[in-house]
Amino acid sequence: MTPVERPATSGQPLDLEAATWEDAVVARDVWRSFDGVPAVAGLTFALRPGEIVACVGVTGAGKSTVLRMIMGSLVPDRGEIRVLGHDPAREAALLRGKIAPVFQTDRLLPWRSALENAELGLEILGVPPAERRRRALAWLERLGLAGAASKLPHELSGGMRQRVSLARAFALDPQLLLLDEAFSHLDEVTAASVREDFLALVRPLGTTCLLVTHSVAEALDVADRILVVGRPARVIAEVRDTARARADPGARERIRREVLEHIRSAMSR
Amino acid sequence: MPSSPSSDGGAGAIRVPAGALATTLRGWRETVLVVAALLALLEAGSLVAPPYILPGVGAIVQAGREILTSHTRDIAVTLLRLLEGIVAAFLAGSLLGVAMGAAPALARYARPFLTIVMAVPALNWILFAILWFGSPELRVFFVIVVISLPFYALNVYEGIRGLPPDLVEAVEAFRPTRAQAIRLLVLPHTVPYIMMTTKSVLGYAIRITIFAELIGTAIGIGARLNAAQSQFRIDAVFAWTAILVVINFVLQAAVERVDRRLLRWRPEQALR
Repeated sequence: MTPVERPATSGQPLDLEAATWEDAVVARDVWRSFDGVPAVAGLTFALRPGEIVACVGVTGAGKSTVLRMIMGSLVPDRGEIRVLGHDPAREAALLRGKIAPVFQTDRLLPWRSALENAELGLEILGVPPAERRRRALAWLERLGLAGAASKLPHELSGGMRQRVSLARAFALDPQLLLLDEAFSHLDEVTAASVREDFLALVRPLGTTCLLVTHSVAEALDVADRILVVGRPARVIAEVRDTARARADPGARERIRREVLEHIRSAMSR
Repeated sequence: MPSSPSSDGGAGAIRVPAGALATTLRGWRETVLVVAALLALLEAGSLVAPPYILPGVGAIVQAGREILTSHTRDIAVTLLRLLEGIVAAFLAGSLLGVAMGAAPALARYARPFLTIVMAVPALNWILFAILWFGSPELRVFFVIVVISLPFYALNVYEGIRGLPPDLVEAVEAFRPTRAQAIRLLVLPHTVPYIMMTTKSVLGYAIRITIFAELIGTAIGIGARLNAAQSQFRIDAVFAWTAILVVINFVLQAAVERVDRRLLRWRPEQALR
């Protein structure tokens, strides 16, 4: 069995026969274009609950468009998306508080302290002040920011700010975490440490994670499974056994090269 | 380590140095020297010019003492009128600005309307106020509001248009209600625009208030100035002038303090 598998037919699901609406996220033949330029073309995949899946592809492959559709802020032209069994655009109210995004840049509100930023999602959900303060503070502590709770974003380093935005997402206790190049903006050392802490926290929770990244290495480090997407976004290959790759540096390097080759060949086609 | 200016876009990115008055005050030693020089010049002038042209410093101080003992009510009335007018213009103008931000159709019509209002000279508004309103309070109130409100409305509107899309998306991702989005994102974001407007409108509003009082009321600093002029009390005119300068300084400094407190979250940036 080769670790990197190509879908049987282009744009077709890998094992979608097994997918059910109970899956955390299901995309079935999703299409979306902007002014006639396709960003997503026949995207199909499923995320099982508790899975950490990375979606890898070149910049501009429409990965962020996919995330927007999962968040419900964008509607597909064609095809279907289900998040926790609901249509994210039409049944937004049912998904309130269940999806939490972490973006490439921290996107903290500059006038709010770290703690107030971490509380934002809970405040929007209507959680009482004492309760939301307690929960946000607990997550800041877990992310190593106990002493920085009252600091304003501009007083924090880039890594710390991204930790605050992780706390903002975790505090919500979401069922689905969406990470859009969440570690790409940081220097390598900081990114590695934030990523490690993130994994240590998310694993025991069993939260489903979809991590969008352009870095194959990062995907191999973090994800249980990797979806390789072409431009426009559709699944062109899949890496299922990242755990084995992590254990064997030789295999890891081979898979990394193979994934890059898939991306490259999809671009030249 | 500021590395992400993306969350701090719009007019907030570059900090405009504090108002000219506050800057002058900061160099207090120079200010004191300039005041001393002016007083010396005045005193010297009073020795050559007749007293109805240039009174001596002693006469002005005497007039000032008289004002501060018997005309504090006029000062209080003027300040109150100013406060009422500015607060009303701020509230109504900000509300209009938010409404314009929420309804582009309204903005399309409100912008030319406000621009026309702003093009009308202040003196004309004062004349309209005198012809339209019998109550002196209403006259002054109307003039301050009609002159300050467009600045608030247009600046708040610009502020809302400058909302960073990244922040909007981040907040929207948590699916807030419209009211929550306005409270958590739009209003805090417009605070710098409101403070900037207040700083630039204040000095103008003081002048307009005095002017409106001069023509249209019987009490207030403007009315006292009018009386002093008609009685050829040049010493009183000088004393009132000094008091107005001090009031201007104090108000600017107060707004500056509020500004710094409210905008603590903004890192200081300056152009080099």
